[in-house]
Amino acid sequence: MTTQLKLLTGKREAGIVPTLEVTRLSKVFKTGEGPVTVLRDLDFTVGKGEFICVLGPSGCGKTTLLNLLAGFEKPSAGKALLNGRPIQGPGPDRCVVFQEDTLFPWLTVEENIAFGVNGVPKKEKQEKVLHFLDLVGLTPFQDYLPREISGGMKKRVSLARVLILQPQILLMDEPFGALDAQAREEMQDLLLSLWNQFHHTIVFITHDIDEAVALADRVLLMQKDPGAIAEETRVRLPRPRERTAASFQDYCKALYQSIKKPR
Amino acid sequence: MAFEKKNGWMGGFIPWVLPALFILGWFLASRFEIVPSYLMPSPKQVGEAGILYAFGAPGEGPFAGRFWLDAWVSCGRVFAGFALAALFGVPLGVLSGRAESMQRFLSASINALRAVPGICWLPLAMVWFGIGYRTTLFLVALAAFFPIYINTAAGARQVSPLLFQAGAMMGVRRLRAVFAILLPGAMPNILTGLRLGLGISWAYLVLGELTGVPNGLGAVIMDARMMGRIDIIIVGIVLIALLGRTSDLMLSGLLRICFKSARRLT
Repeated sequence: MTTQLKLLTGKREAGIVPTLEVTRLSKVFKTGEGPVTVLRDLDFTVGKGEFICVLGPSGCGKTTLLNLLAGFEKPSAGKALLNGRPIQGPGPDRCVVFQEDTLFPWLTVEENIAFGVNGVPKKEKQEKVLHFLDLVGLTPFQDYLPREISGGMKKRVSLARVLILQPQILLMDEPFGALDAQAREEMQDLLLSLWNQFHHTIVFITHDIDEAVALADRVLLMQKDPGAIAEETRVRLPRPRERTAASFQDYCKALYQSIKKPR
Repeated sequence: MAFEKKNGWMGGFIPWVLPALFILGWFLASRFEIVPSYLMPSPKQVGEAGILYAFGAPGEGPFAGRFWLDAWVSCGRVFAGFALAALFGVPLGVLSGRAESMQRFLSASINALRAVPGICWLPLAMVWFGIGYRTTLFLVALAAFFPIYINTAAGARQVSPLLFQAGAMMGVRRLRAVFAILLPGAMPNILTGLRLGLGISWAYLVLGELTGVPNGLGAVIMDARMMGRIDIIIVGIVLIALLGRTSDLMLSGLLRICFKSARRLT
């Protein structure tokens, strides 16, 4: 009954079918000093092709949320459904771009991108890999090892190696947090241009307000102690978004004030 | 691959400086008879003994022409013992590096055994296996096992859990992850462990052969001592050094040919 209702409201909000449905999702960690509730009763849906940013201060459980969605951890209560099916364990239908560098250091750029592609004839695989190399602009660097390329380029490889698997949802955990401002903006633009072409469903975790406003259809603002969704903001700005525009800055200010609001 | 370091001619020359200086010092010491020749024969004498040992016809002297058989037999013992050690050391090391229960189960016992000097096993091995091949094999395999096991375990432990998460979300899990992520990630340590193991194999080869087997480089050294042939002892030492170094290079080279990770991470 509730699921149906959620489906309906999700439809009405996004105007599209929800891909991800999160219902009363909670996570409690057992520690030496007793249980700690990291996430409490999260409820949200993500529509197909929707770009969601989860914004929150550090320690609010953003990464735990992502680990639950990726299947690296199990929820203590509640559930997360992907296309109606409960999420159980990690799998290539929910690909992750990590905050840290997780490329395989013994594989070249090209081999890293090919890593997850299996069960495809060799020639087809090769063509696919070259296509995705091209999409992220790394064709000249295909034979380089991760240690020989810059942080921004590594992120491009991380993006390409999951996009090539055509996941149903793309989970990104502060992927550009460690980059310098210029490289970060470049990566945001690249991600948006890819999203414009392929309409991936994306859950993007960040603590950077500007980044959330630049990218998201909807921003889920999280609070901490315990981690929960405090507010939801729909960013009604036309794309491509102009970071210096007054309307852009208004969204940033509003989100900033929401974060500062005592709860 | 794109930025491989190349040594200039100076780089190729430098490793030979120390041996050259050593031989020069040796030459001068024997030329001016600083050390009596019955304790330390001249380089020339040793060189001649070495040539006779390697290329002489049987009958020209007690050691003439024996080298090839000795080297063949010794290499066989080293490689058999080393292979046995690697066969157990790598899988057990991987298991104890990744599974806490295995680590608890194995590590105390293995570390206790490791504290026993290998030479202590010699009397027991001689009782169990007699003199010769099997005793040598046992000593070599036992001694080479520990560095292989310990380094493999350390390497397996150090592979970042994030790499396994990355693999899992791309659909690479369990046994496939062992071969696609765990072993390549641990490869630098595995290579170190294997190289240390091979080095120690040569040491324990000589120990095993000192017990009185008819052939082998260790046996030759022991025979030479009984006959007071210091020159042959030195020839044996030099040949073991050369064979040891060659086998080390061959091992590294082989792993580099077979595994990308060995080629690119070390």
